[in-house]
Amino acid sequence: MKTTVPVIIAFLSGLVMILAFFFNPEKSIIGRLEPEVLSWVTIVGGFTLLLGVVSIVRVNFNAVRRKSQDWPFKLALLVSVFAMAIPSVLPSSWSPLFGNGPGSIYDWLFNYLDAPMMSTMFAMLAFYIASAAFRAFRARSAESTLLLITACLVMLWRVPMGEVLLKGIYPGLPEWINTYIMGGANLAVQRGIIIGAALGAAAMSLRIMLGIERTYMGK
Amino acid sequence: MSFVEIFQIWLIAFFTLALFSFLYKDNAFYKLAEHVFAGLSAGYYVGLTWNSVIIQQMYDPMIINGKWYLFIPGLLGLMMFSRFFKGFHWISRFSLAFVMGNTAGIFLISELHGKVLPQVQGTMVSINPSQGFGPTLLSLIIIVGVVSTLIYFYFSKEHKGLLGGVARTGIWFIMISFGAHFGYTVMARVSLLIGRVQFLIDDWLGSFSQIFS
Amino acid sequence: MTFWLIIAYSLLILIGAVLLYMTFRKGDRRYIYLAVAFYVIFPVVITLDLPADISPEVLQLYEAVEALPDSSTVMLTFDYYASTLAETEPMSRAALRHLFGKDCRIVTMTTIPLGGPSISERVTREEAAACGKVYGDDFVNLGYKANYVAVLKGMGNSIESIYPTDNTGTLLSELPLMRNVQNYDDIDFIFVVADNGVVEYWMSIVNAQYGTPVGSGVTAVMAPKIYAYVGSGQMTGLLGGMKGAADYEKLIKRPDFAVKGMSAQSLVHMFIICSVIVGNFIYFRERKYGRTGSGGKSA
Repeated sequence: MKTTVPVIIAFLSGLVMILAFFFNPEKSIIGRLEPEVLSWVTIVGGFTLLLGVVSIVRVNFNAVRRKSQDWPFKLALLVSVFAMAIPSVLPSSWSPLFGNGPGSIYDWLFNYLDAPMMSTMFAMLAFYIASAAFRAFRARSAESTLLLITACLVMLWRVPMGEVLLKGIYPGLPEWINTYIMGGANLAVQRGIIIGAALGAAAMSLRIMLGIERTYMGK
Repeated sequence: MSFVEIFQIWLIAFFTLALFSFLYKDNAFYKLAEHVFAGLSAGYYVGLTWNSVIIQQMYDPMIINGKWYLFIPGLLGLMMFSRFFKGFHWISRFSLAFVMGNTAGIFLISELHGKVLPQVQGTMVSINPSQGFGPTLLSLIIIVGVVSTLIYFYFSKEHKGLLGGVARTGIWFIMISFGAHFGYTVMARVSLLIGRVQFLIDDWLGSFSQIFS
Repeated sequence: MTFWLIIAYSLLILIGAVLLYMTFRKGDRRYIYLAVAFYVIFPVVITLDLPADISPEVLQLYEAVEALPDSSTVMLTFDYYASTLAETEPMSRAALRHLFGKDCRIVTMTTIPLGGPSISERVTREEAAACGKVYGDDFVNLGYKANYVAVLKGMGNSIESIYPTDNTGTLLSELPLMRNVQNYDDIDFIFVVADNGVVEYWMSIVNAQYGTPVGSGVTAVMAPKIYAYVGSGQMTGLLGGMKGAADYEKLIKRPDFAVKGMSAQSLVHMFIICSVIVGNFIYFRERKYGRTGSGGKSA
């Protein structure tokens, strides 16, 4: 029952989606069932967002309790979680600072702390890619040489200074790069990857629905 | 600029520079910023789920529109948390199966109908020389590129003979594409840094003139 | 002016060369970090304006939006995290300015749980206030609902089945704009701004099954893949990264953050290309003559 019933549920919920594609959404039972099933999926999916939160709070709470390494920082993490969470669940009718609307504590913390820090975390990657370009990107073979030459051409093509340089070599060179590299070779490869990945995803979907693939259930 | 606006700018600048300080060396300011960021991100999900799901999708429809059957997906959602209790994690399988099965059903149609068919159709281009050298060459590049890429990723047969030759052609095309990808990735990363630097120079350093004026 | 520009460029090249040399000799990558920081800061302080052509795929998207009848209903998505704001927010702002300029009615939504609703709320309200647009009549923010595959599919039948209320909890039936928008049939164009794979599902689910035209602005990391969809006709135009955003800003005649950022982009790109060339020169020399630089810290 612990495995069979979930397999049956997976099959039936997927079957509704497949059949709904072929039936009239207004006149058929399946067509009218589809939006309800989809809204249920979005509700269940919303609860999964909290799984990570519960996990992070548990792990860090235990670390603070045991005063393990860097516990003051983990305490700061827990304070941040609750500083964000508690005002957001209180009704906005009590105060404009509560809830999740514009002007609330929740909104302010995201816009003035979380978002800038998220941007900064990813901005640091620019330094790492520059470092990697000097220290690691080596033309060890003909294929990697072709990769690096293409990369340099595209990097030149995408910036005004580079475009001026490319036009100085040959006036139609930027257009050539766009047409034959991006819209030619790159398009062809990406198309091949898309087709292959889509066929794989369709096969995996069939395996999940038929109960052959059960790894999502865990042990 | 008001005091609140200046305070906000300085707060953002403090955490921005704290994170950037990691480039020199790992330090306490970076660790603090990193943990605060992780905590705020986790806390965001709580407010989002409470307002978007529990209030807007369950509580209001149940109370206002009388849709009491919505407690069923709510129950399925709560069943997910059984994963945290030893011996009861199997209860979450029902919820997972419902979501995974539903998504699989959508994917089975959309991947074939929305990706494979249009992309294959887009590859069936004319190679009639009368359309001109450029368009004919482009069509040939696309057809040869798509086929050779698909052959390269076919690992069920050893790449020998004709198959091996086509796969090697695929590698050349793939290197061009990955090179283009790398070039674009560099642009992406640099853009993100430009964003932060523009804030530090225009807003943060700009606030100095407001403070001292 | 030209003389001083030449002096400035020469100085920039000299500084970059010195820092690359220091990295090679001491094996400390922080000299490269310093060079990158310098090449980003310098053009922000002293802007170097250079002409650049508009990309054909950006022009295609611009013309598709321009061809929409005024007062069309457009869905604008904020499918990006705060980590890519520097690339994607200029696209969203340019799209909003273009659409509001045509008096289009805009329905915004997001499939991103971490920050999507807040970003869409902030950016849309700021641009709407600047254009004198009224919430509920001219624009609506639906917010976020979980499981984007189900959301995209569900809106094909009924937007209200997925979004019973807008982002702030107001029933859709109470919003004048949404009374005439039931599903994708009532939407004339979908403008997706994204930094992840959800853009592909807008095409494979929404465009393929419901026929609504889709145009997109994506981060530069995603852009090479989307060329395949533009080529097959599934995607109507593409804004690729900051260059795409800059082109679009120029087309709507509102140059802003993205246009200003291109000069910094130019310098850093040139530096990285030089780093690749110099790094490979050192590599081939070492292969031929043996190691000459210091070991130092590894990458």
